[in-house]
Amino acid sequence: MRLNPLTQKKLKRFYTLKRGYYSFLIFAILLGFTVIGELLVNNRALIVSYNGKLYFPTYTAQKPGTLFGETYSYEANYRELKEKFKTEDQGNWILMPIVPYNPFENDFRENEKAARPPSLAQQHFLGTDTTGRDILARLFYGFRTAMIFALGFMAFVYFVGITIGCAMGYFGGVFDLFVQRLIEIWSNIPFLFIVIIIASIIRPNLGILLFITAIFSWTSITYYMRTGTYREKARDYVAAAQLMGASTPRILFQHILPNILSTLVTFMPFTIAAAITSLTALDFLGFGLPAPSPSWGELLRQGTGNLYAPWIVMSAFCAMVTILVLITFIGEAIREAFDPKKFTTYQ
Amino acid sequence: MKTSKLRFHLTLLFILSSLILWTGCSSQKEDNSSEQISSDFNQKVQTYYEASPENFVFKSIEDLPQDLKWEDGNDLPDIGSPNAKKGGTYYEYIPDFPRTLRYVGTDANGSFRSEILDYNRVSLIHLHPNIPERFYPGLAKEWAIDWETHTIYLRLNPEATYSDGVPVRTDDFFFLFYLRQSPHIQAPYSNNVFKFGTYFTKITKYDDLTFSITIKSTKPDMLSFAALSPVPQHFYQGFGENFITDYQWQFEPTTGAYTIRPEDVEKGQSIIMRRNKNWWAKDLKFFRNRFNYDKLHYEVIRDPSKAFEAFLRGDLDAGRMTSPEQWYEKLPDNHPLVETGFIHKITFYNEIPRPTWGLRINSYQPLLNNRDIRIGINYACNFGLINKEFFRGDNERLRTVADGYGEFSHPTLKARPFDVEKALEYFAKAGFNERGADGILVNEQGQRLSFSLTTGYKRFEAAFTILVEEAAKAGLELKLDIMDHTTSFKLISEKKHQIHFVGMIVGLNMYPDYWQGYHSDNAINEDGTAKPNTNNFTITNDNEIDALIDRYRDSSDKEEIKQLSHLISEKLHDYAAFIPGWVAPFYRTAKWKWVHFPDDFNVRQSLRHREYRVDWFEGNEREETLRALKTGKTFEKTIQVYDQYKRN
Repeated sequence: MRLNPLTQKKLKRFYTLKRGYYSFLIFAILLGFTVIGELLVNNRALIVSYNGKLYFPTYTAQKPGTLFGETYSYEANYRELKEKFKTEDQGNWILMPIVPYNPFENDFRENEKAARPPSLAQQHFLGTDTTGRDILARLFYGFRTAMIFALGFMAFVYFVGITIGCAMGYFGGVFDLFVQRLIEIWSNIPFLFIVIIIASIIRPNLGILLFITAIFSWTSITYYMRTGTYREKARDYVAAAQLMGASTPRILFQHILPNILSTLVTFMPFTIAAAITSLTALDFLGFGLPAPSPSWGELLRQGTGNLYAPWIVMSAFCAMVTILVLITFIGEAIREAFDPKKFTTYQ
Repeated sequence: MKTSKLRFHLTLLFILSSLILWTGCSSQKEDNSSEQISSDFNQKVQTYYEASPENFVFKSIEDLPQDLKWEDGNDLPDIGSPNAKKGGTYYEYIPDFPRTLRYVGTDANGSFRSEILDYNRVSLIHLHPNIPERFYPGLAKEWAIDWETHTIYLRLNPEATYSDGVPVRTDDFFFLFYLRQSPHIQAPYSNNVFKFGTYFTKITKYDDLTFSITIKSTKPDMLSFAALSPVPQHFYQGFGENFITDYQWQFEPTTGAYTIRPEDVEKGQSIIMRRNKNWWAKDLKFFRNRFNYDKLHYEVIRDPSKAFEAFLRGDLDAGRMTSPEQWYEKLPDNHPLVETGFIHKITFYNEIPRPTWGLRINSYQPLLNNRDIRIGINYACNFGLINKEFFRGDNERLRTVADGYGEFSHPTLKARPFDVEKALEYFAKAGFNERGADGILVNEQGQRLSFSLTTGYKRFEAAFTILVEEAAKAGLELKLDIMDHTTSFKLISEKKHQIHFVGMIVGLNMYPDYWQGYHSDNAINEDGTAKPNTNNFTITNDNEIDALIDRYRDSSDKEEIKQLSHLISEKLHDYAAFIPGWVAPFYRTAKWKWVHFPDDFNVRQSLRHREYRVDWFEGNEREETLRALKTGKTFEKTIQVYDQYKRN
């Protein structure tokens, strides 16, 4: 792919901003982890060697316990099997993921409380919550959900915001006036109430939450796009394109948009941070994803309600702070790299 | 909570003992004050009575049967401790501000209703909370039963007055029927209960202090129908179609010890109830040791954990320790305030009809109408693990649809235990043989064994996740949906649920009421659709069960009722649409040392420590204790279990 020399310059500049660059790397690695999450955090074994045959249960259909010589027909408990194989010593072995728990299972232990502090021996690296679920597993899958939410949110908000904003700026006049009033009305609808009302009527899932959050969030983008388009529209190259008979969408998306997009790129990390915060806040208030979905807000709520188990709230809090700090660093670096004061196109 | 509250009050309303309806005041009928107060309304009421002369009967005192055997319940023991002292302000929190001070109509079923009604008002007679099946006198001085004509004769205590000083008279009980039958109160259930023919057939006036109530048929616990409370006609002179809004914040004059003055209501913040110093019942045998505080101050604290902190600071006097977290983690036995004796921890085993915490399977839905699937679901629900882990082993498994009714509850029947193999066996009988890729069973048509599990109890969320995880082992998928109370109650009222978890608090009935919950009268409309707005949440619709319930309801023989009750419990167990959940055979209280309770702590049938208002303060012990806290003084550590009413 051949990049615009200006873009190349910006990327180089971003690379030199080490704080942002390393934050970006860490964040990218974390994102990469979530893609292969089932191989890292899961109660299903990576590899089972049983009676000379190899099994890879991670992505397959559920394997019943009977397959591995157990008496029950529900899903094999690989952690127990691993111990059993070890004591039997018949050459069978199991390789478990680093965190051998899934985010839903209750790991109760005889004579122990459900909420247990971090323990290497039990492989609960961040402890368990009040129903004995592994906190790291819930944090991890909560992060995945939050990122899906944030990326989906960003895509929706930018698509709608850019389209409407550009149209307003390009057509101007009555259309602009009318849509601006609509946006003013729309942005005054109290978003939280709508979410509360909807959550009390239907069971919200990720898609519904995403939709509700996004349809109340695209308006701010239109302001930037509208002014940007207004400015660019008056330039000669737009007039030239019009004279040459380019269609309106072509002028908007091929000519004008690339010139105003740099503003938006600097907003992106902050949009992601805002999306993560919104989802967490909704979950914290109890209007978010239905139980028992793993989510940060749910962990925070559980943690603040049970301060006797400080590891719950500490884990969620630290994870939240880490991710938001990373994103902020990335955002600042992008903003600096894209700062037109340094790379202005006009002399 | 709303659900159970509603049901609680509904049940109170009818079959039983604590029928508490309305406080009120006397209508001033025949005395000259009646002319002063608008007679338009009184005239209207009078016309209403005259329109049904067979139900509202006016006779003279000479017509009163002579051979009646009058009882007064005064041989029963006192309630509370003779050591109780009067005085002080008791601080309590409420999670929400009540939405109305009315006792009936829209929003009147909130939890504050108990404070102003059930725990406060004096009715004609009350079920004695320590002596089963016996009543002590309230407004009625004495009563007599005519079993032949199923009529209860009552003589009012001439001293009885409302908090505004107006005496309680027979007419107020007539007005009770007038008001409760009125469509303006917007309470169809209440309308139905008080409609003549449902339970009551007539009310007869002999004089201002003597009247009788006639019930539809003879019942062993007939007297519980007389646990009525009057409605003060003089207070409702403006009663009409705007009742709901006109009386929204009006506190009806009460026969109870505490009243609410308009200046004591700070909307959204707090409510103060003040003890009426001239309360008519203050020296009476069953009331003299109770209602001891001068003021009850209710502060709105929306967050329970905040309320808990307020309690630890001494801002609240005592607290119910409902959740295991509070009891074991936030206030452990070695908590400094417990260790030094400032806060006492009490466990009290009570004996009451048990709230029916459990799953209700909508047996009218596809697949769920198959009994094998229902039985399979019974075996797939691991309530044992919930009781062990979530409730820390304190709770027990509920056994039947009607626990806690003494001999009327089934003596041996038990809920089906968690058993994956049995569950699979029953699911297989219904055609679900194969497990899908995710371990959930599928049948030949490719249908998955998957149902929604709805509920309105956010606080048990952790318990439900256990249920869901364990059910998956038996190849059953439960899709958990925790809603708010109003939505969830609407869902089951409209019978749109599949499997629903709800706990119904039941009144202090002598024997269980199966009709409401399990008779097809309340299950199916004539057009074959599920009947909305009834308590038959399982849509139990079985001819054999119907016939048994009909016999049970018509029976007036205690022994037969007992046998039938056991039989119906068994049949409902076989029908398997109700999955018994848990029961807490006790309640737990944490209190500051300055709050005193009787030696046996509380009465047998109490649901919570404040219900019968038997506690008191000694002088200014509160100030002394809080001072001692600063000086580092310690007291005797007190962690007590009162198990005199524990069974087994």
